[in-house]
Formats: sequence, C-alpha cells, structure tokens
Amino acid sequence: MLIRKDLCVGCGRCQPYCPVDAIHFEELKSAVDQEICYECGTCFRSEICPVDAIEESPYVFDYPRALRKFFSDPTATHALTGIAGRGTEESKTNDVTNRVGPEDVGIAIEVGRPTLGMDLPNIQKITRAMAKAGITEIEPENPFNDMIQVRETGDLKPELMGERVLSAIMEFKVKRSELGHVLRTIKEVAKEVDSVFVVDVYTRLEPGVIIPREVLNTIEAEGYTWRPNSKINMGLGRANKGKDS
Amino acid sequence: MTHSLHREGPLDLLNQEYVLFIYPARGFNYDGSGPKSRRLMEMLYTQGPANMLVSTLRKNMYFGIPQEEILKSIKDGAKIYSVFNEKEKIKKTLAKIMEMDEGISIMVSGVADRVREVAAELGLNPHTINLSLGIHGRTDRLPPADIRQFTTMCGHGMVSPRLVRDVIRRIKTGKLDLWEASLIVAAPCACGIVNPYRSVEMLKDLVPVYTVNRL
Repeated sequence: MLIRKDLCVGCGRCQPYCPVDAIHFEELKSAVDQEICYECGTCFRSEICPVDAIEESPYVFDYPRALRKFFSDPTATHALTGIAGRGTEESKTNDVTNRVGPEDVGIAIEVGRPTLGMDLPNIQKITRAMAKAGITEIEPENPFNDMIQVRETGDLKPELMGERVLSAIMEFKVKRSELGHVLRTIKEVAKEVDSVFVVDVYTRLEPGVIIPREVLNTIEAEGYTWRPNSKINMGLGRANKGKDS
Repeated sequence: MTHSLHREGPLDLLNQEYVLFIYPARGFNYDGSGPKSRRLMEMLYTQGPANMLVSTLRKNMYFGIPQEEILKSIKDGAKIYSVFNEKEKIKKTLAKIMEMDEGISIMVSGVADRVREVAAELGLNPHTINLSLGIHGRTDRLPPADIRQFTTMCGHGMVSPRLVRDVIRRIKTGKLDLWEASLIVAAPCACGIVNPYRSVEMLKDLVPVYTVNRL
C-alpha cells in the first residue's frame, strides 16, 4: 500500500488499522514501510482516510511481491488457483467432496497466524522439515503449492525469499496411523521458526458426534491439547447430480 | 481457510457464540448455488445474527448497505459468513436450514460440546470436525491474551492489536461508547465474523485496566 504524501494531512487515523504496524509518521505525514507492509489492504478498505490518500501500490501484482497480496488480503483471489483465501475449502465442504476419508486425517499448518505473519525463509524451515518427514504432497488446489520449488526437499522458490505473508496454510492429509509422526515433526520445527503458526487436525466424525478415539489418543500422546473451539461440518451438503462446471 | 477455529476469549462468552458458514463446494455444487444461498441468507436475516457478510460484497451488516443490494449481489459460489450469540438462535437457524434442504455445506464453529448439544437436539449427524491444536513457535512475540480475544475473532488477522488499544483509549477519553468501539473493531474483518456483542462484554472488563498515555 502507499500513502500519497501530496494528499496526506498527517492526521494519523489510518495508523491503528495496520495489523502489523507498518504505517508511521515521516515528516508529519503518514507513510507505509514497504518492507513491513503485507499488502493486506486493511488501511485502504477501512475508508478512514479523510482525503483518500491511501492507494494500492502500482507494483502490488508484480511478481514476486504479489505473493504478499495473495496470502495477506482475504479479498484477493490467487492468480494461480483462482481461489480466494489462503487455503482450500478443507473441512468446510468435506461432506460433499469427501476429500478426507474415514481413515484419513487432514492437517493444516497455518503459518503466520495469529497476527504476526511469517517470512519465506521461516516458512521454508517448515516445508523442509515436513518434506524430510515424508510430506511432499500438499492439497492440489492449495495456493501454497505455488511457493514450492522442489517438492522432495521442501525448498521454496529462491526469488520469493524476500517476501512475507500474513498467513498461508500448508494443508495435507495423512493416514491416521501417520498422525503421530507428523505432529512430532511439527513440534520440533516450532523450535526453529521466528514467528508463530497454528495447527489444525480434521477428521471424520463417528455417529453421535464422536471424535475417533485413535485420533484423540495420538494428539494426547504427542503432548498436544485440543482447544475447546472446533469447526464442525454439519453434514447437510450434497453434490449436484451430473458434473459441475 | 480455518479463520474461525482459533478464537480466544473467556469460556463463558465463547460458550454462547456460534459462527455459521454457508459454503458451496467448488466442482461439486457451485453451479446453481446462487439462488440457494440467496434464499438461505434471506432466512438468516430473520434469525438475528450478531454479524453477517456475503463474499460477493465483503461489507458486514453494520455498513448500512440495503438488504436488497446485498441479496442481489449473490451469485453462484457465493459464501455466507455469520455469527450468532445464543444457542436458541443457532438452533432455530439450523432447523430452518434443515427444512429448506438446499444441499449447501453448513459449518458451525464454536465450543465443541455446545455444537454437539445443538446437533443432538436437532437430530443432526455432523460429518467432519476440525480441531485447533493451538499456537506454536514464538508465542512470546504475540500481543497479550486480552488483546488477542478481539483480534482472533478475525482469523485472517485483519483486526490490528493497535486498533483494539486505540478504541480502548478513545472509550476512556469519552470519544466512543462501547458499541461504537465494537463496530470499529468489527469493520476490518473481511468475513464479517467479528462479534460486536462479545466485544462490548470484553471491553467492559478491559477498559478499566488500561491506562491512557495520550489524548
């Protein structure tokens, strides 16, 4: 994002809206630190500027900076996948897609959440660790795929190393029996990254809204606890008859 | 996106909060989902959500956009996000959704035991559960928990910690009341799931413990 110096009146009203404190006074006018800015567009969408001095940078969709926009602005649609958002539909439509089957567990590593965001060198620590643990296939429509240069090693594209994203979701599925191994790897790499991420596990429910014991036991055995929150697919969706376009 | 899964806050308030998504599946039931989603959103308006937004407009229900304009914007693939404050409201809403039987995926985020109760009382058989295993890495760099209870209502991180502190300052200096402050905090969330009613309750507790360092 940019703030036009010729228009800015230096009221500072936009500054609290930036989720990462990228807007500061410079010679009595507000200015965006381009290194810190994630291009999330929150300052612009807030419509708080009394003189319309906030603008989208002309180079926001230039590669590789566009990565910031695609992974930080929830209203942006990723150019590669055509999907808005940081990940895929994951559990939200699993009643229709059955992407995660009865023997599977879906796992999401939401890098940069909450609040802090993450730069690509730190994301690469995670992708490399996961690749080493045998996780080389990310959900096919997940825009995260676009960052990866070599699946087998988890190396990200070198030209992206100067970029950072407010959030991106590394999403994959494994067999239930592999969950423990993956959670162990996540715990190890958490010690190396200089930011935060949240971890989600999603699984099919048994009748009576019962979470499979095997999944809970594994989570506990690896020293994790699940928070009281959950996100539950109510099982009311169904696919159209015939092929969707 | 799992942007409603990691909401933090006092358990007594989380226990009363239900986030509801209406979500067509790409490649499975996108085609023809527009009119179905429109009918569902029309119904949601009658059920008293605390906040609501459709992905085709990205402005929450407090922006003053006429209902007709919002409904008119809905097309195939549109997703509807909403948040409810009471168990009875979400229950009635889900009962209506079951009755309408539009076949679009429905997600409810909330405290697992509460959602489980609602499902049991309605005779629903939920399909998949997404569990949060918490925050990992440099948690020491995070804003404090009392600020995160606001900011994590927007899982995309659009609600700035500084904005929360700013509205606290403005409440303390008499420039905003609790409701006005809560709407300011809710506005940046591009999914319309920040719950301003919960913000009011949390601000009541928080405002007295913060000090004002500038007017």
